[in-house]
Amino acid sequence: MTTSFIRSDDFAAFLTAMMEAVPVYGPVAKRSRFVFERLEAPDELRLDYDVTILPPKKLFFPPAQDLLRFDEAGVEAALEPTEKVLLGVHFYDVKAIDQTDLLFSERNYDVNYMGHRETTTIVASNIQNVSGRAFFASVGTDVQPEGHDAFLTAIEGGYVFETRTERGEALLGYGAFQPATDAQIDEAARVNAAALEQCPEKLEHGTEEIATKVRAAFGDDELWNELAADCFSCGTCNTVCPTCYCFDVQDTWNVDQSGQRTRFWDGCLTEDFAKCSLGDGGSENFREQRGQRFRHRIMRKATYLNEKLGGPACVGCGRCSAGCTADIADPVRVINRIMAS
Amino acid sequence: MEHQCHWNEVANIFLPREATIVQAVQATPTEKHFTLKMSDGQPMEFEPGQIVELGLLGYGEIPIGFASSPTRTESFDLVVRSVGRVSGAVCKLEEGDTVNVRGPLGHGFDLDKLRGRDVLVVAGGIGLCPTRSLIQYILDRRDEFERFVLFYGSREPCLQLFGDDLACWRGMQEMEYHETVDNADPSWTGNVGVITTLFPKVQLSPETRAVICGPPIFYRFVIRELDAIGIPRENVFVDLERRMKCGVGKCGHCQINDKYVCVDGPVFSFADVQDLEEAF
Repeated sequence: MTTSFIRSDDFAAFLTAMMEAVPVYGPVAKRSRFVFERLEAPDELRLDYDVTILPPKKLFFPPAQDLLRFDEAGVEAALEPTEKVLLGVHFYDVKAIDQTDLLFSERNYDVNYMGHRETTTIVASNIQNVSGRAFFASVGTDVQPEGHDAFLTAIEGGYVFETRTERGEALLGYGAFQPATDAQIDEAARVNAAALEQCPEKLEHGTEEIATKVRAAFGDDELWNELAADCFSCGTCNTVCPTCYCFDVQDTWNVDQSGQRTRFWDGCLTEDFAKCSLGDGGSENFREQRGQRFRHRIMRKATYLNEKLGGPACVGCGRCSAGCTADIADPVRVINRIMAS
Repeated sequence: MEHQCHWNEVANIFLPREATIVQAVQATPTEKHFTLKMSDGQPMEFEPGQIVELGLLGYGEIPIGFASSPTRTESFDLVVRSVGRVSGAVCKLEEGDTVNVRGPLGHGFDLDKLRGRDVLVVAGGIGLCPTRSLIQYILDRRDEFERFVLFYGSREPCLQLFGDDLACWRGMQEMEYHETVDNADPSWTGNVGVITTLFPKVQLSPETRAVICGPPIFYRFVIRELDAIGIPRENVFVDLERRMKCGVGKCGHCQINDKYVCVDGPVFSFADVQDLEEAF
């Protein structure tokens, strides 16, 4: 694959040409924050964003996704993926996409995710501003981001564009790219390395050490109840997490007697996530206490999936830390506390 | 990305198949016993202990264990307890109505570990439904198994399921059937007490393979009895139930620690789950 350079002055024309050919999604401003949206104009793209409110998984695993549509004539799958480009994904979110790619494709291959995923060309980009709760430099450091087709790094006067796949290579045709010089390549490497030095939060221990000690703390009910004492069971930590992928499924009717089976994001912190009805008004909630639910999330992030994923199911974006109303969700604080005990 | 397959070459795991109800019997005040055939005439191929997502378009899906043996290929049985939106709607259906099914799903009883062995099945309440699949299987292939003992506990006599089966099993030479109810009524002449009161009635070998399915509280008391007999925990199989949505190991609802009941189970060797803090 190749490494190219495009001048800042030529970048808008590159975006415009690409947007004319294919829908392009990227980070755009939403009041004081950022979201991944379809670009309507090249100047909407904000590669200087720190972190988006929701992770880019929403393109492959939408918050509400119809699985089936049905009417009196029968039932059919609702999936209709279209080719698109997702531009400006930070490396921690690429790592998260790698995880959901694996989890949705292993064992029972889920076309409803993979259809959208496989029709998406992903261009990662360097982190120009670091969010206030990020810790991506100290989590899962052995795991490299894989599932992107190209990597864009802003340097003086333009962007270095490294292609990783044929799909990434194909994007070169939309812009006035020229081969990058060694100096430009070196500068891009320096810029990306520098971002890793700017995380405001930091895990103090390695992945395996954390996994072992956090798993061993499972039975410490006092600890988990205390950590979760202020939990509202709102599930915000789940909702904003790039590696959470649990969902609920509900059927709804339309006025014309047709309907759809839809999956909605769900979260293991919500009270009824593991609750079963037993009939006669009785129920069994397999994670009834807030502490049990809080513990399940930390176990999922720090231990349960490590073997499968090759690292923790957390990429250090800091969205949960920033999103938590009670400010108790921060994995760094929870894990560092357990490690110190 | 390295994937073995591509989205447009793979069947959608959420797309159900249609089945037709050939018989519907109200088994208890809340449980209905359905006998089904696939509408396309194909047999439903499954293993005892596996589950199916039973669905009604516009209502949703619920996970249900097969209640009949795959040796009986004409049809398959599901018993539904009316407890919610989907099960309530399903329980209103009658013979000739259609439903949707996805499956078989999950991991059933490991028959190779039961063949050639004494088998004890301990079922409580609605736990008789998924174990009935195994019970029928053993009875249909009786010479593949050694001694066969069944314990069945119900809260009350009127809540006993499969009355015709029970009447048949009570006098059967091929199996040793013992039953109990927690609370007797005047008609009941049998054993009264929780499931563990049946254990003193039979002498069981520590070589016995044991299968347990019942309400959440049931397991720890039955395991205590099996421990006392000296049955190693890898020879004890538990059929577990959790809240479940997708049935294919994605939605997360049925997790017990790091296990997904829908794909790793619902049948587990007790040795594999005894250290999972969330299992019992």
